[in-house]
Amino acid sequence: MMKECKDFCDRLSDYLDGQVDENICILIEEHLEVCPPCALMYESLKTTVEICNRGISDDLPEEVGRRLKIFLRIHCNKEQT
Amino acid sequence: MEEDNQTIRYVLNGDFNAFEKLVEKYQGRIYRHLRKMVKDTSEAQDLLQETFLSAYRGLKGFAGDSSFSTWLFRIASNTALMFLRKNRPEFLQYDEQIGIKNDDKLVPASPEFVSTPLEILLSNEGRKKIEEAIDHLPLIYRTVIILRDVEGFSLEEVAEIIDSSVPAVKSRLHRGRNSVRESLGTYYMERTVNGKRRALQE
Repeated sequence: MMKECKDFCDRLSDYLDGQVDENICILIEEHLEVCPPCALMYESLKTTVEICNRGISDDLPEEVGRRLKIFLRIHCNKEQT
Repeated sequence: MEEDNQTIRYVLNGDFNAFEKLVEKYQGRIYRHLRKMVKDTSEAQDLLQETFLSAYRGLKGFAGDSSFSTWLFRIASNTALMFLRKNRPEFLQYDEQIGIKNDDKLVPASPEFVSTPLEILLSNEGRKKIEEAIDHLPLIYRTVIILRDVEGFSLEEVAEIIDSSVPAVKSRLHRGRNSVRESLGTYYMERTVNGKRRALQE
């Protein structure tokens, strides 16, 4: 990877978070248009963030929820008395 | 946020049902966070109970400066950290570089990963690979990925939850995301090669 490309790729995570200045944004976007490996890197990082966001379930097993409810009813009531 | 604050006022006035409403609202997300932090579903169950009990005990001290979810995730993170400090101290060696290259070189992206359709990336098998890639990260990277990319907290909120700074969170996200990208890239590259090989043999 060329140094210039490495510098751009090092900013991609911040770029995805909207954390780079507007003038740097323009430079990154111009570079992504002319550099296929960096464009692929950007797509790949964007996909990573997207599937992390959608791919980890927040389902709570029913039994875990039931035990939590009982635990809290017992212990929180002790706090009140 | 305002809805949570209203519910909290009910709890503080002695309405336990209101507290159970808060628990029901957040239990799944808190369990996911704990599960990823300690990498053990059975321990996560105990920590889930501890987190909500601590939240109940500390609710009077909730000042409302930050959102209730930020406050609650901070309690969950601290509860998990205390557990790890005692039982898995190796998780807390922050310099541990498992899965993160020391020279900070970026591995080129995998075209196979990018061209894999979303329904495959998010299939049961795909989800398992995402979980594995995140679990492979050292704790400090794993935590920021979960809080920022999975939970969707802002960088400032993540910094507040883990008691760190925004620049530190950004730098951990950069390394953590790239490590997950590399793991998934390698997996989908191999998957494609194996698929082609099988097709040739048939």
